[in-house]
Amino acid sequence: MLSTDSHSSCGRAEALRDYAFDELPAEERRAMEQHLAACGDCALELDQLRLTTAALRTLPDREIPQRIAFVSDRVFEPSPFRRFWNSGARLGFASACVLALALVVSAWHLSGHYAEPRTVVQTTASASPDQINAAVSKAVAQVRAQIAENDAQVIQAAVQAAERKRDAEYRNQMVALEENFDVLRKTMNRDYARLEGSELGAGQ
Amino acid sequence: MIFRAVEDTDLISRVRRGDVEAYNLLVSRWEKRVFNYLLRLTASPDDALDLSQDAFLKAYQNIRKLDDPARFGPWLYRIAHNEAYSLFRKRRPETALEDVSSERNPAPGFPMDLSLAVTAALDRLSPDQREAVVLKVYEGFKFDEMAEVLGCPVSTVKSRLYTALDLLKTELAPVNTRGVPRGN
Repeated sequence: MLSTDSHSSCGRAEALRDYAFDELPAEERRAMEQHLAACGDCALELDQLRLTTAALRTLPDREIPQRIAFVSDRVFEPSPFRRFWNSGARLGFASACVLALALVVSAWHLSGHYAEPRTVVQTTASASPDQINAAVSKAVAQVRAQIAENDAQVIQAAVQAAERKRDAEYRNQMVALEENFDVLRKTMNRDYARLEGSELGAGQ
Repeated sequence: MIFRAVEDTDLISRVRRGDVEAYNLLVSRWEKRVFNYLLRLTASPDDALDLSQDAFLKAYQNIRKLDDPARFGPWLYRIAHNEAYSLFRKRRPETALEDVSSERNPAPGFPMDLSLAVTAALDRLSPDQREAVVLKVYEGFKFDEMAEVLGCPVSTVKSRLYTALDLLKTELAPVNTRGVPRGN
């Protein structure tokens, strides 16, 4: 077993380790190299440090089980305001605003601020309930049609995004599969070559 | 005409202009390293993959806040480090990384005695020491970069690393005497 004494007798332990990890400036590095040529303790310490890091580096990296790719809509997910604005609710919201504005203007007229209130009342009263109902029904139907059209567009976009994501995942899986097959093929070839070599050796 | 390899900084500039494919290329360059870093912290491939995805997503969302594109690596690892510690705090507020060592398995397809010895030796380190070793020995970061990832001074980084290496040298001394390929 190697000695585990971590500190060289000349008090340069930290500089020695910095040197081992290539963290010394050029001038100090040259000085350390000259010192190492003359100091057996430091040379031994450096040797042990390199053995330890070499042992650590024998642990291989693992392959990532699944590739990470950013084609998903999660990244590009719009803000809540933008989502609202692009949805069918926008039309409903706009309609509500127009209706509210109309009510405010109407109330203002009726409250006496308008110069000829009686004329307005008469004008409003001249529309029959059937006419009003028909107009409201027509407006509602228009808004519904617009909402349906907008929803259809949103759904179509979502389906297309999902299809793109699925295709990308499939491509990634195929690439990973191909790489795995390649590794397997190389491993088998190497084992086969080794086996063939050992058989030839045994035959001789 | 002079050709040169596309650098990370080029890709970051393109990402900042809205080029998602440039970011995918950037991810493909870093995903294995980040995954293995997180795997060595968490000892769980599932957690490491989830955290990697979260880290890359967060990096994408904040890439305009990266002051120096040449420091993308430490910046990305800092995000990954924060994601990992956030997960540990959620799961085990008091024990954090202390208990993950019991879940750690040696890498498959590797000589078991050496693999087990190295894995066991790493498990005996404190979480801070282990992360310092991972960042230096496995990820090859410089001390100033490690300080950026860990959010502490360089002196602290060196103290953690060198204490860890003293312990590892003791733990791995029997393995070293049986012959390990030497690094530099």
